[in-house]
Amino acid sequence: MDHETIVKTVNSIFIERFELDESELTPEKTIMGDLQLDSLDLVDMIVGLQQKFGIMLRDNPEVRSVRTLGDVYALFEKLAKEHPEIEANIR
Amino acid sequence: MEKRRAAVTGIGVVSPLGNSADELYRNLAANRSGIRAMTRWHDYFGRDIAGAPVELDPAAVRKISRKVRRTMGNTALFAGIAAQEAVAQSGLEPEFFTSGRMGCIIGSTVGSPSSMTEACVAEHEGRRNDLSACHFFRLMSHSSSFNVADMFGINGPQLSTNSACASGLQALGAALELIQLGKVDAVLAGGADESTPLVASSFQLLYALAEEESPEPERLSRPFDAARTGLVCAEGAGVLVVEEMEHARKRGAQILFEIVGYATNCSGWHVSHSDELQIANCMRGALADAGIAPGEVDYVCAHATGTKVGDAAEAAACRAVFGSEVPVSSLKGHLGHTLGASGALELAAVYGMMRDGVVFPTRNLENVEDCAGILLPREIREQKVRICLKNSIAFGGVNASLVCRSVD
Repeated sequence: MDHETIVKTVNSIFIERFELDESELTPEKTIMGDLQLDSLDLVDMIVGLQQKFGIMLRDNPEVRSVRTLGDVYALFEKLAKEHPEIEANIR
Repeated sequence: MEKRRAAVTGIGVVSPLGNSADELYRNLAANRSGIRAMTRWHDYFGRDIAGAPVELDPAAVRKISRKVRRTMGNTALFAGIAAQEAVAQSGLEPEFFTSGRMGCIIGSTVGSPSSMTEACVAEHEGRRNDLSACHFFRLMSHSSSFNVADMFGINGPQLSTNSACASGLQALGAALELIQLGKVDAVLAGGADESTPLVASSFQLLYALAEEESPEPERLSRPFDAARTGLVCAEGAGVLVVEEMEHARKRGAQILFEIVGYATNCSGWHVSHSDELQIANCMRGALADAGIAPGEVDYVCAHATGTKVGDAAEAAACRAVFGSEVPVSSLKGHLGHTLGASGALELAAVYGMMRDGVVFPTRNLENVEDCAGILLPREIREQKVRICLKNSIAFGGVNASLVCRSVD
């Protein structure tokens, strides 16, 4: 799965679930600071990522340490290599 | 000790006849009906039964910030939009909401039936992990109350009067009592409810729903009428700003009307049969609380939903308390039954009647048999409405009556 697909899929969650504009979604933005998501939103971010990529994340310790949007992209770059079937799951 | 008095300084409505108090009143005055064939429920019922849905403007929905809206099912959303109208009309300053002297009391039958259905379906399909973190907040019983409190930063008492069709009126009664006790100076109070196929089928199971398919669905809700076959499910919200009288006067607020008395009781013996004796006792209790004799009441805004047993019991109770001189009507012929919203929502129309000196008739009322012996206008009636009594009668055997007085 290429980087552009990962970015587009991750960003779609922030646009659809959190009503953010695509122009606000740049890798250095902090999720809780710059993008103003709170703890409830973080849970929904995980739910959204699970649904979009078709992979369970609840018990993944790395997802709890993401701080920026770039961290989320990097996490999925890693997961895509470990789980090539993710690409077929993207809805 | 003299009781503190309670004024209504703001009213907000979301209803099948419009999403503002003015629009609702204009449509009622024009004898319009909010009832239609529910084609979107066809697969569920196998035919187009009648219902009275709310149509929301997406722009009005987006005015509620995402972080409040995310925990709202439709019930709380209706309450929130109605609350915005009520607060705007009241002119209360935002600083007051966070003073600890403002409360929020909004009731509904359940937190959100559509959200509850979504959760049950997800559980049944093994998709529990797909549910939003916010989902439980949408279906919690007090969802409307805490969501509306959060919308305005209200940090005084927050209660939720979840008593089915009496929810809204019990909220207003509780607001009155909190003000009388000196615990708060104002309350956002009212009721809200959604109508879904599951909600309608709950009444269908009890043979309480007007479920026949009809080319004229707007004629199916006919409270007190000899040919009535049941209620038509509706939805919406009514939220009022109830404010201590001197507090309202000092800041120059427009007083719309005064809440002067309240009572609530229950039958204590049956969960679904209306009890004419206890309905009468409730009305007498509210009048006694107000220090008003039955002969001084100008109009009774009945609960009457179009069910055979319920309407007859309420008519008998009105006959016992008021005789045949006081006009009685139900607005559910126009609106359908907005369930937990009905008590508060219909008060928006009552205010208009008090202001304009008219009484609206019961729509679709043509023949009276078992509800005889009370004055049931068939046309708009011009008369001064200074004192009005509003009833709500709910499953669980709950009755609530509120007495209102116009401002001279």
